[in-house]
Amino acid sequence: MSADETEMQAAQWLAREDRGLTPEESDALDLWLGASSLNKVAYLRLKAGWQRVDRLAALKRPALRVSERAPIVLPALVAAGLVLMLAGGAWYFWPALRTAVDTSSYATAIGQKQEVRLSDGTRLELNTNTRVRASVTATVRTVTLDEGEAYFDVVHDAARPFVVYAGNRRITDLGTKFSVFRYGDDVRVTVREGRVKVEILGQAPQPVVTDGGHEVVTKGGETLVLTKPDADIADDLSWRSGMLVFKEQTLAEAADQFNRYNTRQILVEGNARKIRIGGSFKADNVDVFVLLLHRGFGLSVNDQGDRILVSR
Amino acid sequence: MVQIEDWFVREVLPLEAALTRFLQRNWRNEAEINDLRQETYARVYEAAQRERPILVKPFLFQVARNLIIDRLRKQSVVSLESVADFDWLNVSDDRPSSEAHVAARQELRLLQSALDELPPRCRQVVVLRKVEGLSQKEVAARMGVTIETVENQVAKGMRLLTQALGGRRGVVTSQSRRFNFLRKPRDVR
Repeated sequence: MSADETEMQAAQWLAREDRGLTPEESDALDLWLGASSLNKVAYLRLKAGWQRVDRLAALKRPALRVSERAPIVLPALVAAGLVLMLAGGAWYFWPALRTAVDTSSYATAIGQKQEVRLSDGTRLELNTNTRVRASVTATVRTVTLDEGEAYFDVVHDAARPFVVYAGNRRITDLGTKFSVFRYGDDVRVTVREGRVKVEILGQAPQPVVTDGGHEVVTKGGETLVLTKPDADIADDLSWRSGMLVFKEQTLAEAADQFNRYNTRQILVEGNARKIRIGGSFKADNVDVFVLLLHRGFGLSVNDQGDRILVSR
Repeated sequence: MVQIEDWFVREVLPLEAALTRFLQRNWRNEAEINDLRQETYARVYEAAQRERPILVKPFLFQVARNLIIDRLRKQSVVSLESVADFDWLNVSDDRPSSEAHVAARQELRLLQSALDELPPRCRQVVVLRKVEGLSQKEVAARMGVTIETVENQVAKGMRLLTQALGGRRGVVTSQSRRFNFLRKPRDVR
């Protein structure tokens, strides 16, 4: 029996009670109430609610004002919400606008994110622990990703290609939205829309050109192009909303992800590293993640302050 | 027995708005909130029959939290999306329990707006029954409908108003979030 069904039965009983029960009905109600605590609490709850409605009697005279007054509440709330949203929006975009200069460096600390708007209109979102240098001139637009991860929403300009340098790779935008992650020499390019060209610096040009729904993974001289469903691309880019999304990943991999965003590091030991997990988490919510590992998997969690040991 | 019912109505039910907020924060699937709330109430009610908790609000939240954890454990495939923001870490809901003693004026205003959101016929029945103080039979005569219709509308109005008073209005649209899964370990010896 679902909660709604139970509630509906309780309401029917109370409605009958409200009009007056026959002795037989009264007995049947007692039976129903005695059958389960779920019935009982549903009944008590609605009964109390229905009694509260008695206060409406205060409206009896003068004439009912019910329908004139109530609607004021909702628009007022909506208006208040709108003001908050506008204020929030201004707060959010203002720093980005302020930092829009031609040649600049931008950096985020661990756990931080930052949005940057370049003077050509291109928008960058920097993920945790990221350093970039951007240069926009009349002839060239370049961003060098020294460390970390950034999402690019590039305003296309055929006369001024947009180039991202990451490690030994050059990524040339052909009008698109994409994300570049660099960890040492490993570079991963996730393309959401449009096309990009990925080249190795200092080598005979054998560029890989790829479009939306693909990911380019490079390591040293190797380049791998993967096809990814939109949903997976969205997962890869979930950091933009502060979330980490895992799908059948090992606990060791998940911990690595968390560790990118937090100074408190998770160390997974022994065969617990191989446990596969999924789900989405707030990147900054380490406590909850390890709590869940403890409660859900019975793993032992040893919180030492700056690091958290997780093991079987 | 009657004492426990009084206790439940007086001490537990007024916390419904806070409980609902708590459940909504900690459980993604909006469709299951009613179910969780009812189960929480039933557990509290049963526990109180054995021993009355001294601090009602922390106890209620503890029960809700345990219920959520139980649900997660029971599922062999656990949806982590269900547990949303994991507010259960913040063990006590620190909000002053003002909702327990809403001022009469405020309560009236709450009721008014809840009443206003009822479907027209349902609202009319509730107004005649509760504001005008007519019996169900008199309401039926006044509106020219059967007493069964009145009874059904009373049942409906009761549910919707109680729901609104408890912090939820009608159907609450939930964010359509994709579900992901936390699997029990399989590949670990």
